[in-house]
Amino acid sequence: MKDFLRFIVRYFITRLLISLLVIFIGVSIIFLIPRLVPGANPAEMAIRRLQMSGAYLPADSIEKMKQALLKLYGLEGSLLKQYTTFWKELLKGNLGPSFASFPTPVMTLIARSLPWTVGLLALTALISWVFGTVLGGIAGYRNKGLWVRVLEIISNAVRPIPYYILALLLLILFAYVLHWFPTGGAYQIGLTPTLSWTFVKSVVKYGFLPALSLIIIGIGAWFLNMRNLVSNITSEYFVTFAHQMGLRDSIILRSYVIRLAMPAQLTGLALQLGFIFNGTIITEIVFNYPGLGTLIYTAIMQSDYNLVMGTTLFSIVAVAFATLFVDLLLPFIDPRIQYVSG
Amino acid sequence: MRYLKWVVLVVLTIAGIIGFAEEVLPGVPRNEVIIIEDPTGRSLNPTRFNLWGGGVSSWSTGIQQLCLGALWYIDPDAGIEGEPWINLLAADAPLYNDNKTEMTVKLRKGIYWSDGVPFTADDLIFTVETLKNHPEMTWGAYMQVNVQEVKKVDDYTVVFKLVKPNGRFHTIFTVRWSACYIMPKHIFEKVEDPVAYEFYPPVGTGPYVLKSYDPNGYWFLWELRQDWERSDLGVAFGKKPGPKFVLYKGLASPEKKVMDQMAHQLDIIHDLPPEGAITLHQNNPYCVTWFDGWPWAHPDPTLPSLIMNHEQFPYNLKEVRWALTLAIDIVQVVLQSYNGCATISPIHVPPTGKDPEWYFDKIEPWLKDFTIKIGSETFKPYDPTIPTKIADAVKYAYGYKVPDDPAEIRKMVGYGWWKYSPDVAEKLLKSVGFKKEKGKWLLPDGKPWKISILCEAATRSVMTRAAAAVAEQWRKFGIDAQIEAVESSMLWTRMNYGEDKDTIYWAWCIETWGGHPDLFWFLESWHSDYYRPTGQTVVAKNPMRYKSEKIDKIIDALRQTDFFKDTDKMIDLGLEYIKTCVEDMPIIPVFSYNVFTVCDGYYWTGYPTAQDPYTDPVPNWGNTRFMFIKLQPTGRK
Repeated sequence: MKDFLRFIVRYFITRLLISLLVIFIGVSIIFLIPRLVPGANPAEMAIRRLQMSGAYLPADSIEKMKQALLKLYGLEGSLLKQYTTFWKELLKGNLGPSFASFPTPVMTLIARSLPWTVGLLALTALISWVFGTVLGGIAGYRNKGLWVRVLEIISNAVRPIPYYILALLLLILFAYVLHWFPTGGAYQIGLTPTLSWTFVKSVVKYGFLPALSLIIIGIGAWFLNMRNLVSNITSEYFVTFAHQMGLRDSIILRSYVIRLAMPAQLTGLALQLGFIFNGTIITEIVFNYPGLGTLIYTAIMQSDYNLVMGTTLFSIVAVAFATLFVDLLLPFIDPRIQYVSG
Repeated sequence: MRYLKWVVLVVLTIAGIIGFAEEVLPGVPRNEVIIIEDPTGRSLNPTRFNLWGGGVSSWSTGIQQLCLGALWYIDPDAGIEGEPWINLLAADAPLYNDNKTEMTVKLRKGIYWSDGVPFTADDLIFTVETLKNHPEMTWGAYMQVNVQEVKKVDDYTVVFKLVKPNGRFHTIFTVRWSACYIMPKHIFEKVEDPVAYEFYPPVGTGPYVLKSYDPNGYWFLWELRQDWERSDLGVAFGKKPGPKFVLYKGLASPEKKVMDQMAHQLDIIHDLPPEGAITLHQNNPYCVTWFDGWPWAHPDPTLPSLIMNHEQFPYNLKEVRWALTLAIDIVQVVLQSYNGCATISPIHVPPTGKDPEWYFDKIEPWLKDFTIKIGSETFKPYDPTIPTKIADAVKYAYGYKVPDDPAEIRKMVGYGWWKYSPDVAEKLLKSVGFKKEKGKWLLPDGKPWKISILCEAATRSVMTRAAAAVAEQWRKFGIDAQIEAVESSMLWTRMNYGEDKDTIYWAWCIETWGGHPDLFWFLESWHSDYYRPTGQTVVAKNPMRYKSEKIDKIIDALRQTDFFKDTDKMIDLGLEYIKTCVEDMPIIPVFSYNVFTVCDGYYWTGYPTAQDPYTDPVPNWGNTRFMFIKLQPTGRK
């Protein structure tokens, strides 16, 4: 109990404070950057969007409209005033309105895209990680055999293919040639999102190809990484010694090899899960799949400060906490890692 | 993009054999729905249809094409009944008093909103008064600046009292791509905040109503009103639109658009890279393009140009601007950017719609005689044979079938351009102190002359390619020229501030009606009254920060003309503007914005083409509304 309390006070709280500091600094940076970029004025961007799309805005009204929009967006005060207001609202859970989609709240836009991104990317990241890690671990340990060679060849062949091309090939084959899966979207056009079996079936069917493309790319990377890690560990003296001690292969693999290879794989997984909040814009474009990727891209392109902050805020928090989680977890897995307070 | 042809060929071979039978909409026969690309892709806020309040992600979901109506339309091409000016919600053209301080509008009788309420003068007055009270709304500032009072004479007559004489006031209500649409008073009068109001479901005077939409913003399905006869199109033309359903669908990948259309699952593609459109034309027997063959594309009344900030040395010098023009081989630019499918313009008006008749035919004799003086030497830079040269090059390079008749070729790719004359360009530069050493140009102060052409990246690949072609030619001429390809919003932001050193922008600031000769629409903001120095964002369309007394006088004179009666005078003033621009070359005009809108004739027929140019087929234009009464099913199931 005493050790646990010491761990909480000396290690956990310190690490938690560091994570909070990282979040504070990260959020402050994303507050400042768009405001310091020359020409990234949301009111001017709004007017320009209208003009670029062909809407007629006569010259004598443009300046008046700009001032009115700045007032509407709440961007009239000093930077410091905007910054303090931003933190006050953020702590209340309010990220403000999107400027490009004014007055739609940023949280509404994120809430529409987040489930699709998290659903697709979290699932595919976990599936890829589990299969890649298990297969890579076995392949690295039993470095012979036909199936190991086949897996290596496939992984090495898939890895250099640009993701866009791979996704397009899957789409052509399964959607346009074989007609097994739809050509795009998140579910059948005309369906209303409900928790009905018809809708769920449609979501699974429409999500299959995007998921497959991500899993194929993901498994290959995890497989090769794990195989290399395990291959290196198996050549260590302590593994040779374990063999000479006459320990069973399964014990050596589980307790001596995999256990030591896991920290790197787990760290990678945690970071990947943290980064899923960035979305995957290519998947969204190829498969017409809704998600945070197009949201972030649009936000940046339209100088939509609030939407940029909203979307990156999720990513900053997720990566900071994923790192914290890994830091707390690793000592349980790898005996060489100890808790030491900052 | 280089994978595109390969991908398409694989699909064509296999999918062509197997066939395609995916149901697009459950319960809706495919031959009752027309599927149209929304070029915006994904609408982030799909329930927001309040175009007046702003913040609408896409205007190309059907909201301005099928639902909301405007008083007037000017078609960029011939117009649905052979007349580009179209009275839709208005019964007639606007009537101004003599000093242009009052505008009277007569409205059509018998039009009903899609929820059954009659459309009357109250709607127009409410729209104007609401906008006037909210300068943050899309056309609000304009109403505040221009409208003193709007009053009802009767249910179908409205009089505007203007703050100052303005014979162009009606253009705010006249669709060229879009315009100020009319609000349903009975909906908005119950709303506390007209800016925040989503306007969902939208209620319009158009012939379609929103049936369903994707909460993720990828598609919008519209259904023909049962009472379509009481819609604006029904009352104005009395013809039933062909499609029972219209599906606007966002698609971002050009490869996917091609594959969808090959499978007859996408009826109208908004735009494609040239090779995508040409592949479709060659492989889909039902393919319909503006020209049925080279150069395929529809020329929009927009003029991509090389835009130089006159406040950045050496672009303040007319000789430099002209030297850069003469160092361009336009035939190569057209080949490398548009696969030979561009419509070139030597003058500062796009060669589209009826502009060739109004301006190009009239100015060409003057162009042929136009002379540049370099010291004691003279040079006639205009080359009317360039269209034929392009046709020959296209035939040789790509094997496309091109007409033999030079007159036909001119209709397809424009009238002519400036001679490729690096020797004359050299003399012009030397006349203002430039030096050439070891084949490289030095500025008068001895520093190397560098140019970066800032252009759009992947979103408009033809523009990137065109900029690369020009940079290559300028390098050949001895200038250290490169391109910088950026996202669209970055290009326009940076151009509008104009602070980039050594930079020339590949963009546009000249857009015409196409169906009306008045140039005031885009030219107004070139007036020195609206000039802003470098570092301040430009007002509207003068990113080159051009100041000319002659142009000011032309704009002032245009302001005095009657939009409906003084056609000849407007054209004369337009010709004066063209002459001034040719002499000064404030920007280098290149070609019109050609859009490869590709239609599939498998399920639908009646698309606009160069043979039947009743409207612009480019589906994000509000003007495409008129297409729906021409579109009819082919009978295929």
